Amino acid sequence: KRTKRARKVTTPCSLLNLEVTVSQLELGYEGDETVLFRYCSGKCSASRRNYDITLASVKKRLQGKKIRHNPCCRPTSYEEDISFLDNNYKYHTIKELSASQCGCV
Amino acid sequence: MFLLHTFTVLFVLDELVHSVASSSALSGLGSHGWLAPMDCVRASEMCNQNSQCSSRYRIMRQCLVGKDRTTMLANRECQAALEVLQDNPLYDCRCKRGMKKELQCLQNYWSIHMGLTEDEEFYETSPYEPLHPDETRRASIISAIDSASTKGNLCLDTGSPCNPCLDAAKACNLNDTCKRQRSMYITACHNKGSPIQQPQEPCNRKRCHKALRQFFERVQSEFSYPLLFCACRDTACAERRRQTIVPSCSFDEKTRPNCLELRRSCRSDPLCRSRLADFHMNCQTTRLTKTTCPNDNYYGCLISYVGLIGLDVTPNYVDASHSNFSISLWCSCRGSGNQEEECDAFLRDFRENTCLKNAIQAFGYGSEAGHIPMLESQPSLPSLPPVRTNLQPAIITKPSISSNDIKPIDNACIYSTCANLKDNGKKCTPSDAYECANENLLAPGMEGSIDTMGSHQAADESARQSSADPRHLSTPVALLTGIILSQAL
Repeated sequence: KRTKRARKVTTPCSLLNLEVTVSQLELGYEGDETVLFRYCSGKCSASRRNYDITLASVKKRLQGKKIRHNPCCRPTSYEEDISFLDNNYKYHTIKELSASQCGCV
Repeated sequence: MFLLHTFTVLFVLDELVHSVASSSALSGLGSHGWLAPMDCVRASEMCNQNSQCSSRYRIMRQCLVGKDRTTMLANRECQAALEVLQDNPLYDCRCKRGMKKELQCLQNYWSIHMGLTEDEEFYETSPYEPLHPDETRRASIISAIDSASTKGNLCLDTGSPCNPCLDAAKACNLNDTCKRQRSMYITACHNKGSPIQQPQEPCNRKRCHKALRQFFERVQSEFSYPLLFCACRDTACAERRRQTIVPSCSFDEKTRPNCLELRRSCRSDPLCRSRLADFHMNCQTTRLTKTTCPNDNYYGCLISYVGLIGLDVTPNYVDASHSNFSISLWCSCRGSGNQEEECDAFLRDFRENTCLKNAIQAFGYGSEAGHIPMLESQPSLPSLPPVRTNLQPAIITKPSISSNDIKPIDNACIYSTCANLKDNGKKCTPSDAYECANENLLAPGMEGSIDTMGSHQAADESARQSSADPRHLSTPVALLTGIILSQAL
């Protein structure tokens, strides 16, 4: 069962694209302009460090503290700005909307 | 001729190889053929290597500082310098759009030509090289693809209203260079509350203009032109088109200056003066050609129009009218005094310019245009007519469809196919097999062009190159043409 799942999701953490309209961003803007949303997705199992292994093993002794002993696929840097014209013909600029680099952190 | 020999001899002493190159360039100048004239930076460098020429050149520049033509010509020394320089390659030199040291080149150009032209000449000679037919032809392919894909694109599916300007924005957002540069000018034209500016000023106009110039210089026309010249069928689209250059900052001002005043301030700046002269040269309505544009070159007119954006004479759409748009400058002819006629004539070249209007409509392949820009000998998509006298755009009588009840599937696609076939002398048979370029077709093409360019830097670089020289347009685009064509036929 376990190997089957492991074989299924083998994509390592990477940058992916999605085309969304401004309204679909759900940031409170109303606009039909399409922007490119770049996000991070994928597995990070390959980049477990000694830290993660040890942390997992000492988990019990930490008594319910919030800990994460697996690296997470997250943006390590963001794209600067994206600007668009909304449906009321006002320009807006959003900062750090899209990821520009991903990493297992 | 004597001068030419002097040059050659001097250069032989200096450096043999160099001299061969430059003398051949010199001989190319005289003929005014397709051999490109020397650029003014090089011409002035060459002049400075010759002691006689450089001293005259220096005198000439001193003569022009703060003096008008009459005062200058009264001075015998200035007059002599002028006469000598008229026989020099400096006199025939030209500049390239978007070249390295463009400003320096233009300054060199005007340093001689300011003294040669009448002060208040209405139209001045453009310091830019005439556009080579090949360049305009390549560029037109791009616009043709764009208009074809716009037609087949969002207008067809989902029943959402057809908005080519929105499609153009999407295409820009999906291209890294275009997205970044667009963001940069929008931010620059919109920075409320920056510490530098005055509280009552809505924006920093200078910064905004500079960012706009940069946008049109660095972004491929494939992406930037559709934003500006999209063909609209409703007000929402036309308003978006009007907003492209952020007119609240780049166009409108509290007061409307007099148009001649505006021209005067433009002419005091070498870049603005050159671009204005270029616009007058390439967008001058003429009755000699079918399209009413000089040499039937729509693209040349659009290039020179875009060249004005971000300068004192920034033009824009005056309102959100889609059926009968008009372009203007932000100025009026009030208070022109005895120069009212001249002022009106100057403004008319923007407001009532048939060539410019036709060019914009042809680019967007607008339904209202009644013009279907025509095809070349090889089977192709509707494209802008290149500079060739034997090619004429078809002026098709306005189809019996009003702009409102247009069914894009029926006309946008098959229309162009028919036009194609007719041009090739075949029978017009609208077939179901023909499909418009749809989103699926467009998307891989664009991704492909990003991929082949590789890194951001490379994309930037090639964008810059292709803005300077449309010959460098990416191969994926050409491939895309092929795909569409093979479907069409």
